[in-house]
Amino acid sequence: MLRFCPLIILAQLLLTKTYAQQEEPLILDDSVSFDTELAIDDDIFGNVFDEDTSSTTSSWFEGFTVRINQQFSGQVNNHAVEPFPGFSFPRESELETNRLGINVRYQNAFAPGWLLQASGQGRIYLNNDYEYRANKDHIDTEFRINEFFLQRSFGQESIKFGRQTVVWGETVGNSVLDVINHSEFRDLTIIDIEDARLNQWMVVWDHFGESSNLSSFINLYPEFNPAAVRGSPFFFEPLFNLTDYDRESKLLFEAGTQWKKSFEGSDIAFMAAYLYENQLLYEDPVTGIGDAVAEKNDFILLGFSANKAIGKLLLNFDFAFSHDVLANSFDFPGTSTLSSPLNLKKDQIGTSFGFEYAVDNEQSVSLGIQVQKILDAEEGLLPGQTLVNDGTFGSWLVRYSNTLLNSDLVLSSTLQGDLEADSLLALLGINYTINDNWAISGQIISINANADSPLVFFAEDLRIGTTITYSF
Amino acid sequence: MKLKSTLGIIGTALLVTFFPHASGQELTGFEIMKRSDDAVRSTNDSSFIRMQLSSCKFGVTQGRITCAERARVKSLESVAKNYGPELKDTKSVTITLEPAAERGIGMLSYAYEDSERDNETWLYLSAMGRVKRIAAGNSEEETEPASLFGSEFTTEDTDTGKLEEYTINLLGETTQGNRDVWQVEMIPSAERARKTRYSRVVEYIDKERFVSLRSEMYDQYEREVKRLMASRVELVNDIWMARSLTMMNLVTNRLSNMAFVEIYTDLNIEDDFLTQRTLTDAAYRETELEKLRSQLN
Repeated sequence: MLRFCPLIILAQLLLTKTYAQQEEPLILDDSVSFDTELAIDDDIFGNVFDEDTSSTTSSWFEGFTVRINQQFSGQVNNHAVEPFPGFSFPRESELETNRLGINVRYQNAFAPGWLLQASGQGRIYLNNDYEYRANKDHIDTEFRINEFFLQRSFGQESIKFGRQTVVWGETVGNSVLDVINHSEFRDLTIIDIEDARLNQWMVVWDHFGESSNLSSFINLYPEFNPAAVRGSPFFFEPLFNLTDYDRESKLLFEAGTQWKKSFEGSDIAFMAAYLYENQLLYEDPVTGIGDAVAEKNDFILLGFSANKAIGKLLLNFDFAFSHDVLANSFDFPGTSTLSSPLNLKKDQIGTSFGFEYAVDNEQSVSLGIQVQKILDAEEGLLPGQTLVNDGTFGSWLVRYSNTLLNSDLVLSSTLQGDLEADSLLALLGINYTINDNWAISGQIISINANADSPLVFFAEDLRIGTTITYSF
Repeated sequence: MKLKSTLGIIGTALLVTFFPHASGQELTGFEIMKRSDDAVRSTNDSSFIRMQLSSCKFGVTQGRITCAERARVKSLESVAKNYGPELKDTKSVTITLEPAAERGIGMLSYAYEDSERDNETWLYLSAMGRVKRIAAGNSEEETEPASLFGSEFTTEDTDTGKLEEYTINLLGETTQGNRDVWQVEMIPSAERARKTRYSRVVEYIDKERFVSLRSEMYDQYEREVKRLMASRVELVNDIWMARSLTMMNLVTNRLSNMAFVEIYTDLNIEDDFLTQRTLTDAAYRETELEKLRSQLN
C-alpha cells in the first residue's frame, strides 16, 4: 500500500496559504516621489542609461557562462528494507554527496553562419561523498565534456557536427520518444530528464522550410546507459562485473529523421529512426567467471507527436511504435541488471500524454502519463516463462510549481509513480535566487515502494539535499 | 520563470509619438487616449530593443521611494515586427542576455489582435534541448493578465487598443512633475471587466507630448493597487518616449523598472527571423542580429 509523503501535503498547504495571503495596499500620497523632478531616480536601478552601449563588438571571453556549485545530500531515515520476505537489511542515515562542481558553457558565433558551442563539467568529490568512499576515502575528481559542436548555417540549412543532444517528443520528463540520447541517473537528488540526458557524437542536419522543418541525424558512435557508479545509491554489487559494450571492430550507427510542422495553436511531428536500445542487456559469462557479457539490441522506431494549446491549457501527445525491441530487457532509469536472457524480440507500442495548465501568473500544474505494451507478449515463451514487462506498463508524473517574489523564489513539488502503483517518489523543491550571481536550492525526496518494484531497495528512504550556486 | 508575452508589445506599447495638438483643449478623453494609442501603433513596427528589467522590494523613506534590497536585473534583447492587414498582429523574439543563469533563454511570441485567436508562445531552454510551446493563452480573453519576465508588469499594463471596451472620462487638467497633463479615467465595460483585474485606471497624459506620465490602477474596492510612473521622456528620432517606466505593486510592495536602453524602429527585419529557427539555430540568429545591428549604424 502506498503512502503519501506528509511533507508534500504540508508543503502544498503552505503554498496555498502563502498564495492566499493578501495584504492591504500601501497608501502612496502625492508627496511621495522618486525625485524632486517627475523623473524617477534611476540610480536605484544602476546607471544603465549612462553606460556605453554603442559597442556591439564582443570579445571571445563573453561567450563563457560559468556555474560553480556545492552540493550536500543524504539519506536521513534510519530504517530497514525487506525486498524479499524474510530478508532485510538496514538503511542507515548517511551523507551521500558532498561535492564541489563547476559547469562551463561556451558559445561563440565566430563568423557569419558559424558557431562553436561547448559545455563541460568538473566535480571534486569531498569527504563522505559516496565517490570519496568508493575511492578509499580519498578525494576524487571527474571531468566530462557535455556539448562540443560546430555549427554552420546557410540559407535554409543548418548542419551541426559534434557532441550534442537530439530530443524528440512533446511530453516533458517521460516521453516514449525521448530515446535518442542515452541517460544516466546517478543520484537520487536529480530526477529531471534534462539533467540526466547524455550527449553523443552526431551530425545533425536541419532544413527550415517555408511551412515545415526537417531534422535528421546520424550517430556513428552510439553510446549506452552507463552502469551504476560504485558507491552510488543505484549501485548494487552484481554477480559479475558490468562492463560497457565491447565494440571490437564493429561499426555501429544510428540514424533518424523528424518532420515537424506548426499550425496556429498546435505543433505536430512525425519521426522514424534506426536505433540501439540505450540499456544494454547483460548475460552471464559463458565460463561462469569473469565479466558479464553486454549485449546491444537494434530496433526501428516510428513516432508521432503533437501538442495543442487551448487558452491556459497545453495538451501533449506522443506515440511510438518500436519494432524488434528486446521484450525481456529491463529499463528502469538508472538501473542495470542481469536479466533472464530470453532474447525475444518483440514489437512494442507506447504513448505518453498529458497536459500543462497555467493556473495563474505564478502557479502551474502538469501531468504526464506514459503507457507501453509489448505486442504478442506470450508468443515464443516456454511454459513457465514470463516477461519482465508483462501487459501494459508505464509511469505517471505530476508537477506543481509556484513562482514568487518576481521569480526569485520557486516552490515546486513532484509526484512520480508507476501505473501498477508499486512505487511513488515525492519531491519537494525550493529554489531561491539571492542575487544576480548567487542562488540556493533545497530538495526533499521521499520514496515508497513495494516488493514488485525495483525501487523496493529505496523504500521509505527520505533524502534531503541542498545546493548553493554561483553563476557568472 | 513565466514568459508569456511579447516584448515587442512591451517596448512599443509604451512609446508615444509626438502629435501636434491643435485645439487640444477641445479633445475628449476618448480622443486623447485614441491619439496616444494610434501613435503607439504607428511606432510598433520592425523594432530592435535592448532593455533592462529591474525588480526589488521597495520602501518609503522620508517621502522617497527606495529599493529595500539590491534589485534583481535582467538584460534582454528583442526584435519585433507587425503583421496583418492593419499591422495589428505582432511577432517578436526575445533573448535573455543576463543574468548568467538565464543567458540564452529565448522566447518567440505571436500576438494577435483578434480576440478570437489565442496568442502563441514558444520557449527555448538550452538545458531541455528543444523548443517548447507554452500555454500562454490570450491576454485579451478569459485568462488572467500574464507577468512579463516575472516582473510587476503584466500584458494588461502594456496593452494597447480595445478603447471601445472602456468608458473614458476626461476628469480635468492638472500638473505632474512640472508638466501640464490631462487626467483621464478609464472604466471597463461589463465585458471588459471580466478580463481585467482593474475596476478603474486613471491616466495622466502629457498635453504636449501625449505621453502617459503616470497611471493609477484601482481594484474593485476602489483601492489603488498599482501605480506606473514614467520618466526620462525624450525625443528620439522624432518620437517622444518614456525610456524608464516603474511599476509599483502597492499590495506586495515590490516594484519593477523597465529601462529601454536602446530602441530602433523601421528596420528591415526578415520574416524568417521571427520563427522557431531563431530560437534553436544560434549561428543563424547571431548572423541575422549582426545584420540588424549594421542597420543601426
